[in-house]
Amino acid sequence: MKAILTDITKCIGCFKCVKACKETYDLPGDYPRRWTQNDGLSALNWTSIVIKPDDHFIRKQCRHCIEPACVSVCPVGALKKTKEGPVIYDNDKCMGCRYCMMACPYGIPRYDWDQRIPYIRKCIMCYDRIKNGQQPACTAACPEEATIFGERDELIAIARQRILDNPGKYYQDKIWGEHEVGGTCVLYLSDIDLSFLSYDRKLDNEPLPHTTEAAMKAVPPVFAGMGAAMIGLHWVIGRRMKREQENKPKGGSE
Amino acid sequence: MDRVKIFKLILWIVTGLGLSAAIARFAFGLGVTTNLSDTTPWGFWIGFDVVSGVALAAGGFVITATVYIMRKEEFHPIVKPAVLTAFLGYIAVIVGLLFDLGLPWNIWHPVVQWQHHSALFEVAWCVMLYTTVLALEFSPVPLEETSRYAKIRSFLMRYRLVFVILGIMLSTLHQSSLGSLFLIMPFKLHPLWYTPILPIMFFISAIALGLMMVTFESLFTSWLYRRKAETPLLAKLGKAAVWVIAIYALVRFIDLGARGALGYIFAGSFESIMFIVEASMVIIIPLILLSIPRTRHSLKGLWAASLLVVLGIVFNRINVAGLMMTSATGSHYVPSLSEILISASVVSAAVLAFLFAVEHFKVWERKPIDPEAKVEKLPEFDRASNTWLGRPEVAARIKYSLAFVLAVAVGLMFWPFDRLESRGIQDTPVVKARGGEKLIINGNRNFDLVLFKHKMHEDTLGGKESCVKCHHMNIPGDKESGCWQCHADMNKYTDAFRHDWHASPSGGNLGCVKCHEPDQPKMALTASECNECHKDLIPPGAAIKVEDYTAPGYVDAMHGSCVECHKEKAAALDKPKLPQCTTCHDQEVSDSINQAIAAKHEGRKSPWVTMPEIEEN
Amino acid sequence: MQPLMDFVAGPLFRLTFAIMLLGLLRIVVLTVWGVIQARRQTDDKVMPWKLITENTLGWLVPVLRLWKTRPIYSVVSFVFHIGLILVPIFLIGHIQLIRESIGIGWPVLSDNLADILTIVTMVTAVALFLGRLFSKEARFISRPQDYVWPVLLAIPFATGYVCNNMAIGAGVYQWTMLFHMLSAELIFVFIPFTKIAHCVLVPFSQMVSTLGWKFPPRSGEGVAETLGKKEMPV
Repeated sequence: MKAILTDITKCIGCFKCVKACKETYDLPGDYPRRWTQNDGLSALNWTSIVIKPDDHFIRKQCRHCIEPACVSVCPVGALKKTKEGPVIYDNDKCMGCRYCMMACPYGIPRYDWDQRIPYIRKCIMCYDRIKNGQQPACTAACPEEATIFGERDELIAIARQRILDNPGKYYQDKIWGEHEVGGTCVLYLSDIDLSFLSYDRKLDNEPLPHTTEAAMKAVPPVFAGMGAAMIGLHWVIGRRMKREQENKPKGGSE
Repeated sequence: MDRVKIFKLILWIVTGLGLSAAIARFAFGLGVTTNLSDTTPWGFWIGFDVVSGVALAAGGFVITATVYIMRKEEFHPIVKPAVLTAFLGYIAVIVGLLFDLGLPWNIWHPVVQWQHHSALFEVAWCVMLYTTVLALEFSPVPLEETSRYAKIRSFLMRYRLVFVILGIMLSTLHQSSLGSLFLIMPFKLHPLWYTPILPIMFFISAIALGLMMVTFESLFTSWLYRRKAETPLLAKLGKAAVWVIAIYALVRFIDLGARGALGYIFAGSFESIMFIVEASMVIIIPLILLSIPRTRHSLKGLWAASLLVVLGIVFNRINVAGLMMTSATGSHYVPSLSEILISASVVSAAVLAFLFAVEHFKVWERKPIDPEAKVEKLPEFDRASNTWLGRPEVAARIKYSLAFVLAVAVGLMFWPFDRLESRGIQDTPVVKARGGEKLIINGNRNFDLVLFKHKMHEDTLGGKESCVKCHHMNIPGDKESGCWQCHADMNKYTDAFRHDWHASPSGGNLGCVKCHEPDQPKMALTASECNECHKDLIPPGAAIKVEDYTAPGYVDAMHGSCVECHKEKAAALDKPKLPQCTTCHDQEVSDSINQAIAAKHEGRKSPWVTMPEIEEN
Repeated sequence: MQPLMDFVAGPLFRLTFAIMLLGLLRIVVLTVWGVIQARRQTDDKVMPWKLITENTLGWLVPVLRLWKTRPIYSVVSFVFHIGLILVPIFLIGHIQLIRESIGIGWPVLSDNLADILTIVTMVTAVALFLGRLFSKEARFISRPQDYVWPVLLAIPFATGYVCNNMAIGAGVYQWTMLFHMLSAELIFVFIPFTKIAHCVLVPFSQMVSTLGWKFPPRSGEGVAETLGKKEMPV
């Protein structure tokens, strides 16, 4: 599975990844609008750089979770986790319910709010380029190798090596995205706390789709059980009423 | 006027106003007509129309179960209205959803694109099937009116039990699955509401709501049509509701205790207050009211209890569906007028359909006396227009349709179409740059400013002769008009040509024929070019070629002119740092200028600046 | 001045235009509904669609029907309608406004043709007004609104012509333009509620009158009642 590793300590904040993304997908300039957040992501900015104090530049993009919440909630299969790693989106299948936006723990999918015919927009890890054996536009554009592309296992190994080589440099010696919500395909190394990237500061390691799985598995038995219970109840009460009718032969209607 | 007539008139007007909002919603898109945003993708429409709407329609399966499964024949009089309410409720849910969906014409996609792991997929299927089942359950009532359909009717009646059981099975599923929708959001939903047994919670509360909604609907229609309220029957429903609410309360608090979330109730936060309000509306007050036999058998007690439970559980649904996520997402969502109007109009239309059904079909044992169909069928005379409107029925039709049409038109009148056209780009008027030899450029006053060395640019570019390079268009009589005079908004285009000024006596005081040919239609197409009069408008040698008189936003204009020139200079002078952001947007300079005046704004960044390319070193 | 112009050209225009469109739609629905209800009470349910179509199309060109009895009137009223319908819909200035606001447009009349049609419409409007005023028979069946309509309809044409063709000062232009828009908006509001509704009711009025012949002799009251026109001159 392909992945992206972004090392915050190496990023110089040149915005070349942002620019490359905008050029690759021909995205026009954005304006400050009511529905945009100040993290810079929008339907027209699929990756952005969040600037934190002391020259920390954190590139924000879709995390391409291994078990993505957005894919599991989509009622029409418009979002798909590919075997290569990227989570991609199909315009033609979408019906615009925006459940994916609700379900994403990182708040990544954005909406074409200003369009009459709106679609979900987010980073797709340049799926077409990956299929052709190229790397995504953003990692290709990075002059500092702060954000690199490769096999997920290899990138984790690289990250481990960097942590080993530089003890104490990285925050809690943690690879962000290795385990949260079951692991993501976009990994971060950082010297500051990156928990602001998700809504809840303490994301569980349990993949989010598992939370609904139990409820969804209960659907067929509940359906059948309810039917059986209703038929049974109907029959039992019917029989009891019949007996009561027989027991008091005449007059006692109520 | 009769209260039915007034009520109907109000409903027609609300429906009309909602239709105007719907036109705006489809003409301009979700972003500008609703207050939905990236942080609040689901708002009032999902919370109220869909999640609450389905719950409000729970009366259908609760009452059919009581009558046909439990065989409590005494409740038979309220079966038909309950099924009708449920059917119209589901139709309203589907219609409401059409407004919320971004691509409503794709609403059928779940039928063919199966995604069994999605809770919403399951809800979609159940709602579809259950609406069909409800239609089959209710259709014997209108079919009764004509003998032609007797066969279909008897067929439907024979399999009624099948439909009832199917309806209960489907309702169980999707009433609970609406809770499952939010299981995937433990990171957002406040722990007082988030629980792994959310589906069970939704199911039990839906039963309580179903009972109370039927009570409320019966009380309301009795009041509306001046019928005798079915108090003894409703009191029995109330007694059942006591048990359901008690079970709900038990499960709710045991769950809170088991998850160790009880502490949040007394945390004093926004959520804890909302929880206390919700719990007293749904649980505490109704339990007290309904468990005392005297209040349970009184009209006022039933009114209060049913209204509280209905509103309280709707409140609970809205809480779960978004309101209690706001502290995690940090959104400040308040539904916009168009969201509220469209929801209101969907509900109004459903109520109108309900009233139509009870007046024309035998929903109740006895049809209400139709105020439109008076016994003496005299045509109605309208003094205002001096005409005969026709039979009362026809007259009502004429009046309601007129009210509806006028409401739509008035609604369209009040929509701010100019604002909607801007597609949500906020107005940011530019303020003039201050200073002399050095200009402080701070157009939108966000203190993320640029110190522009005007004198230095003038000197290096070649003295007074070089003004025209940047001042590429000047107000007549001026040689160096400020950027802000045409580029008047940070992000939006501004029309540099001011027609009102040219025509006004205090301004140009020019007659039309000065620019427009006398025998031509007067519009921009046929007007003469500006520089035919204003010879010095566009000075020769300007770096920017003016193509039309619409000035781009300030940010684009500045970046367009400065960065392009800096790039050229960087190549020519071998100064690679020249086109970089920090050359102009110098944080240190910025900070030092702002230090005195903007201590509280420190560190605030504009995320909208698109950074120019850095030259490779 | 400018805010007033903006209000008249924006919200007030939307209000009046919506009243016109929806009002016409409403009156069509009400009429068809009434016809359907009336038809239920007839004995002979067959509707002579061919006759209705023939009559509708025939009356679209009244010259054919009235040439023998009232040649001048038929020609004048026909010519009056040509400009009345074509000029507002196909004037280049109007199309340009529509194009600017919603981005669609359609072919336009040439400016000269539009001017000629405007003058013809104004002249025929005056002729119709005078004809009604000086004809005894016409006066006998006329209501006040019948006199007002030709004049009211001529106002936007006159003001529009002045704005389009005459060398006038900017202040006068604006007032004239305001008058032009306001008079047109007044017409919009009245169209669905007065006899001008015949612009959409033409086919249905034939349906109503054809249906009238279908009733047995004694059921006349029923029809009038059902159509809501009881005790009114037919």
